Order: sequence, then C-alpha cells, then structure tokens
Amino acid sequence: MTTHLSAEQLLHAYRVMRTIRVFEERLHIEFATGEIPGFVHLYAGEEASAAGVMAHLRDDDCISSNHRGHGHCIAKGVDVHGMMAEIYGKKTGVCQGKGGSMHIADLSKGMLGANGIVGAGAPLVAGAALAAKLKGTDAVAVAFFGDGASNEGAVFEAMNLAAIMNLPCIFVAENNGYAEATASNWSVSCDHIADRAAGFGMPGVTVDGFDFFAVHEAAGAAVARARAGEGPSLIEVKLTRYYGHFEGDAQTYRDMDELKEMREVRDCLKQFRDHTVAAGLLDISQLDDIDGEVERQIEDSVIKAKSDPKPPAADLLADVYVSYP
Amino acid sequence: MSRPPLTVGIIPNPASGRDLRRLTANAGLFSSTDKASVVQRLLGAFGATGVERVLLPTDMTGIAAAVLKASRGRHARDNRWPELEILDIRLRQTVEDTRLAARLMAERGVALIAVLGGDGTHKAVAAEVGDIPLLTLSTGTNNAFPELREATGAGLAGGLFAAGRIPPEIALRRNKRLLVREARRGLCEWALVDVAVSPLRFVGGRAISRAEDLAEVFVTFAEPHAIGLSALCGLWCPVSRQAPEGAWMRLHPEARDALLAPLAPGLLQGCGVVAAGTLEPGVPHAPSLSGGTLALDGEREIAFAAGDRPTVTLDSHGPLSIDVEATLAYAARHRLLSIGREHPQHPVNLSC
Repeated sequence: MTTHLSAEQLLHAYRVMRTIRVFEERLHIEFATGEIPGFVHLYAGEEASAAGVMAHLRDDDCISSNHRGHGHCIAKGVDVHGMMAEIYGKKTGVCQGKGGSMHIADLSKGMLGANGIVGAGAPLVAGAALAAKLKGTDAVAVAFFGDGASNEGAVFEAMNLAAIMNLPCIFVAENNGYAEATASNWSVSCDHIADRAAGFGMPGVTVDGFDFFAVHEAAGAAVARARAGEGPSLIEVKLTRYYGHFEGDAQTYRDMDELKEMREVRDCLKQFRDHTVAAGLLDISQLDDIDGEVERQIEDSVIKAKSDPKPPAADLLADVYVSYP
Repeated sequence: MSRPPLTVGIIPNPASGRDLRRLTANAGLFSSTDKASVVQRLLGAFGATGVERVLLPTDMTGIAAAVLKASRGRHARDNRWPELEILDIRLRQTVEDTRLAARLMAERGVALIAVLGGDGTHKAVAAEVGDIPLLTLSTGTNNAFPELREATGAGLAGGLFAAGRIPPEIALRRNKRLLVREARRGLCEWALVDVAVSPLRFVGGRAISRAEDLAEVFVTFAEPHAIGLSALCGLWCPVSRQAPEGAWMRLHPEARDALLAPLAPGLLQGCGVVAAGTLEPGVPHAPSLSGGTLALDGEREIAFAAGDRPTVTLDSHGPLSIDVEATLAYAARHRLLSIGREHPQHPVNLSC
C-alpha cells in the first residue's frame, strides 16, 4: 500500500483532478449553447474518487465506467482533446465521434467504456479480471458505478462471480446520494453500500470521497490485495455531484444548502491544496501553474473540437459489424 | 407539578466499524442493522428498570427508523419499552451529528447516555456532556474505552443507575483523558485512550495500521488484552484505568528492542521500541516529530507542520462511565431484579 506520495505524484493527482473539474465546468457552459448532441452527465465534485483510484493503476489495468464517465476517462489517461471531440460528435473523437459522452472508450488505456446502461460495467470488469487471471498477469480491473447501480442485479452477479473465482476486481461504488432524482438513503435497503460486500464474502469499506488521500489509501490496499491474488474488494466512496443528474436537471429533489456547504468547505481540490501546502510538500505556485496550464488545455480542446470535421455519412456502418474470417 | 419522565439518551454512531481496516486487517463489520438490534436490547433493559423516555437521534442509515418501527410492535408493548422520542437533527453525516445529539441530550437533562461506537465516538460524546455518565458499548473496530459487552446486561446496569437504585460510588467510574492543544490554532481536543504521533502527512484513511507509521504513543490507560494502539503500552508497560498516571512509548523501526502488538484486529506488527515511561498528569508533552499527524483514539485527525506547537497532556477530568460489572454485582447482592406477584412478567401472570 502506497501512502507516501512523491511531489511528482502529488502534482499529477492534482492535475488530474483540476483537469476533470475544468473539463466539466466548461461542458456545463458549452452544453447550454445547444452545440453538443446527446446527454452529458458531469463528474464535477467527485474528482478525488477517480484520481485516488487511478493513481494505483497501469494501462494494462482495465476499468469500466458509467454514464458519468468523463472523470474516469481523464484519470485513466484518455486524451482530453479526443474526449472533447467525441462529445462534440467529431471524427477526431476517441470513438470517431460516434459514441458521444456516454460511450467514450479507449482500450489502449484500459478504458473499457463509459456505459449508458446502469450497472452494466461491473460484469465487463469481472470478464477483464478473469482474462488477467487466466493470462497470469498481475493486472486488476475496476468497476465504477453509482448508488443506483448498487441495486442492480448485474452488479450483484459480477460481485458473486468475482468472489467465487477470486478475481482481481475492485468494485468502486461512488455514492453521490442520488440515483437520478431518487435519494440513496431511501432506495438502498442496507445502511451502507460497503456492507453489501459481506454478502459476497469480500471486504467492504466506506471512505470520504472529498479527500483524495482517503480514497488513495483505501484503493491502494484494495489494488495491492487484488494484484497479490487475494481477490475482490468493494469500496464505497461517499461524495456529491456539483451539478444535476444530467445537464438541464432542475434538481428540485435536492436541498441546495447542502451542496453549498460541501462546495465551500469540503471540496476535494480545495482540501488537496490546503493539506499539501500546509504540510510543506507543495508550493502554492506549483498548483497555480497547473491551474493555468489546464485552463489553456481545455480552452484549446474546445476550440479544436468545434472546428474538427464530423464523421462522413460513409462511416455510418464502419466498426459496427465485425468481419469474421 | 408532575415530575419530568426519567429520560436517558442513546447515541449510535452509524459510521463506526467500516473503515480501511476491513482491507488492511481482518476487522469485522458492525452493520446498522446490528446497531438497531443493540438499541432495541437497550430499550428492553431500560424499560425493565424504570426508564420512562429514551431520546434517539435520526441518522441516514436507518437505525432510528428501524427502532421506531420496532417500538410500535408487540415485543415493545409486551416488554414495556420506554417512550421513544426521535431527536430530529439536521444531519451532516460527520462527527458533528454525534456532538450535536450529545449537546441536545445534555440540554434535556438526561440521566445517562448510552453510546454505541468505538473509542472515537465515545470521545466525541464525552467532550460535550460534562458529568452525564456514559454507558459504553463497543460497535467500532479498535475499542479500548468501551468494553465488548452484551447490550442487555449493560442496559440493565445503566437503567438501574438512572433509576437511582445504585449508589453513584458503586456505579460510576471517573476516567482519564488526554488533551491535545495547539494554542496558535485554538485547538483543544480530547482523547480517552491514546494519542499517536505519526509521520504520515495526511489524515487520509485515518486508521494507522503499520508500525512504520507510528513515532510515539501516549495513553491514558493500557491493558494487556487491548486491541489497537494502546496495546503497545499494554504489552510493554501496562497501566490500569484507575491509576492516576498514564504511559508513553517512543517508536522507531531501527530501535534495539521490538514488540509484537495487535494494532488492529488480526494485524500483529513488530514495532521498534526506543523508550517507554510513565505519563504524569498535568505535564504537557510535545510530539517528537516536527511535522506529521496526530491520531486521537486511533484515527488521524490533526495534521501539524513545523510552525505548529501541539502538546499532549494527561488529566483526570475525563467522563464518568457506568461500571457494569460492579453495578450488576451490587444489583445481585441486593436482589434489585427480584419481582413480586404483581409484576406482569412474574411466572404466575404468564399465560400458557
């Protein structure tokens, strides 16, 4: 378990979280212009989860994501311009503009895909973990899903398979308190999603998803366990989303005061800055420099994505059917 | 004027018993379903001993809801549970919920507060309630302050005391505490069992599970059978709950002596012991490191750096707690649970 992070690792984690934040806040603005096709679900507020878990992963470790996938993609190393272009439906997108926000995938980075079907990523990850086990590598696979998906049968089936086959899987339940507009304290029958692990004979822990270091420690322990052949784990990350379920959601089901306090006091980026600077590990100027670089990177990616070409009509059936020999 | 109902509080910590140590050690799970059962056992025992009203805070995990539902059932009626009053507090899902519930109960003049949690939960309640006695029940991971005990017997002891049937000098135990102060930041925090100094720079996952993450431990008491950080002193230089002094130990991986100690359930770690000694009351101690984190009752809570000057001081002004064994021994000597033929649960009144 890695608990001591070098300055380089700390700066990388901060860059990942800042990139996600700026990417999402920019999309919040751009989506309102009507230029972006389809739905977008923003990950802003949840950055510490993706960054804390992905800090332990390599390109040969696979992850699956859900409809709120931009943060997982960025943290796993998917190209930011390729993502932006994908969301704009452009030929230069990571899926040639035919996937959009909810289907961003990049197998070269171990990103098996965002997924519009709630809970559908977990079985994919069990498969990826089984592949790693059969190949004899020490790669692991991580399923990111939400509190809503934690009630889905497919997730339970994947957990059961992972447990009986002792697969190198980590199930990360990002509990942001709401499945669309349904509060998890109403819809999740057990008290903590982490407690469901006991039913599958695997360890489950709950961590503070506003604190990068809390997620990083728990994920480090779970990944080390999986790599050592000790089987699957469940991590419930408690966090919040700063925006609605999707862009355009009026959030009438939610008390906006709770959000205000979380943004002002518990925000993961703010905490990360305060803690690393107070501990004397990073200078505020290093963090400010990253903020500036990320702003420019996202600005460039938007400008470029807007002017990139759309996929031609002739591409319509490309990559749809596989030609078997 | 009618007298107010005999009221006690129950504070279950919904978050206890599910931290990192389920991954780094073999710690078990204490689900909210289990906690709701413990509260129900307490209600049975409180009802049997004359407690008339119980205050229970709301929570986000269904403990209060399950107890409220059960309180309307036949079992509750047959066993004459006290009236249940839910304290509807605005939840933040942090330790502040525990503190707020404790303050509200103190304002309501409860005779006793039963606490379900680990050392950290008990510490949070203790710091808010002055001399209101605590009935301590372990539902955490590393618990040295609350003893592992079945809730029904503990509830009988608490109820008998609250009802004024046990002399305080028999029922109550005064505990020690450690005060952690940092003048510049205006900090004054309590610990009931231990304060550990760790080179880890961040609060992060809070628990400490590795010897190398420990530089120093201060304890109010240390029992040889303890689990957690106080086990270090407990297995090297034990000190009882009653003794006026505490103990300290300085650790380093390269020390000449080493000790195998259970830092978490199932997790035995070899810890290098540089020195150990007696902690005298009233003497402030500065940590041996210039920067790192302070773990209060097993959880990293305070990060400090070169400019900070935290101190750790032992004193004897900790909370009062119920001595369950002594209380029930007194109850047995005086036959306090004997019942007459008029009691509905007397065998002659039980229909076949």
